[in-house]
Amino acid sequence: MQQIINFLIKYRNLLLYLSLLLIALVFTIQSHSYHRNSFVHSTGHITGSFLSSRNGVYDYLNLKEENDKLRKENAILRMKALVTADTLLGDETTFLFSNDVPYRVFPARVIKNDYSKRDNFITLDIGVDQGIEPDMGVITTDGILGIIDISNNRFSRVISILNSEVSLNAQIKGSNVIGSLTWDGNEPYTMSLVDVPRLAKVTKGDTIVTGRQSTTFPPDILIGTIKDAVLVENGSRYKIDVALFNDMTDVGTAYVIKSRDIKPIQVIDTLTNAGNE
Amino acid sequence: MNSALLSNVVRFIALLLLQFFVMDQVEFMGYICPIVYLLFIVLYPVDNNRWSFLILSFLLGLTVDTFQDTGGAHAAASLTLAFVRPVLLKLIYGEGYLTKNLKIMRSPLDRFILLLALSVLIHHLVLYMLVYFNISQVLQVLQMTLFVGLSSIFMGVVLFVLFGWRSKS
Repeated sequence: MQQIINFLIKYRNLLLYLSLLLIALVFTIQSHSYHRNSFVHSTGHITGSFLSSRNGVYDYLNLKEENDKLRKENAILRMKALVTADTLLGDETTFLFSNDVPYRVFPARVIKNDYSKRDNFITLDIGVDQGIEPDMGVITTDGILGIIDISNNRFSRVISILNSEVSLNAQIKGSNVIGSLTWDGNEPYTMSLVDVPRLAKVTKGDTIVTGRQSTTFPPDILIGTIKDAVLVENGSRYKIDVALFNDMTDVGTAYVIKSRDIKPIQVIDTLTNAGNE
Repeated sequence: MNSALLSNVVRFIALLLLQFFVMDQVEFMGYICPIVYLLFIVLYPVDNNRWSFLILSFLLGLTVDTFQDTGGAHAAASLTLAFVRPVLLKLIYGEGYLTKNLKIMRSPLDRFILLLALSVLIHHLVLYMLVYFNISQVLQVLQMTLFVGLSSIFMGVVLFVLFGWRSKS
């Protein structure tokens, strides 16, 4: 007994170091696994309000670009609204504003953005109080941004598409060729579309959009263009380099998308899986 | 509250605010953000209790982790640096630094730069190994350690000369 106590006293610094290191490593490993609720993240009340106030200061520096972007988007939306008004001539157009729309869109401000790490996260200034739940998709004016990971009352954390855990369903516009969109961690302007079949028609410059199989994002949201394509896995599949439309290093405003049909689709999907087994 | 404790508390908070509001926004060449909060660990008084020193360093790193969403990488790096600091001090200021009542704030500038460089190397190496957490990206870990490390050393020396250093002359 005496020896044990002597041992503890002699090595108390080492033991403290090892135990604290163990805690830190557990936090680290948790942060590297997708969708595990971690203790240490940037959506806490104190952290969130600090991030908000920092954003309040730095927002002024790029107000002009942000306004330009929003103005451009307004113009595009106005054009789209005019198109619907034209094709539905004579019909009632109030349906556009009813409650039963397939996708609801929530505007949000980005109060923290990372792109230089291997696993990047973004923090938004809206949360559960505004109707945000985990697994909703997040887009910007130019393309997709990520998926909601954790949300509390006032803030939400988004898993950026620049994260090793993310794999999104995407397809080549105008065809039904699908693949998984992943990030290899090199630069924030390029992602890769993998698992594309060899026989698919892949042309440089073609547009990549979100796929119909995705339950998180609406179909046909723009992602990027094909920059390069190589055959991998003994020439059986393409690995396509996609140049993103979205400048992930410069995002100010984001839109969170809530799909009306996510529940029914998930129910159907699990049914077919169970049937196959 | 005595003045040594007060200056440590002020340094703890000031370095965290500086890290968060200024350094994390630098993004020199797109990805280089100097890490300055480790100055707290480097400059911590040498004669104090190691137990509280380790816990404080851990909490400092954990606070930075919550802002950067890095899990526990900063905490582990800060903790490791705090744990090996006595070895570094022995290496740089000689065996008897404890009996000589060493004040890092008043040490020659070249010794301080050496201490800072070694501390930054250890801290950043542990940090980026845990941030990348992938053995195949060891080159990126080394690259980040080198570039971010150089910027951290530069900012650390600038801050030290501006605010901390009181030379004997």
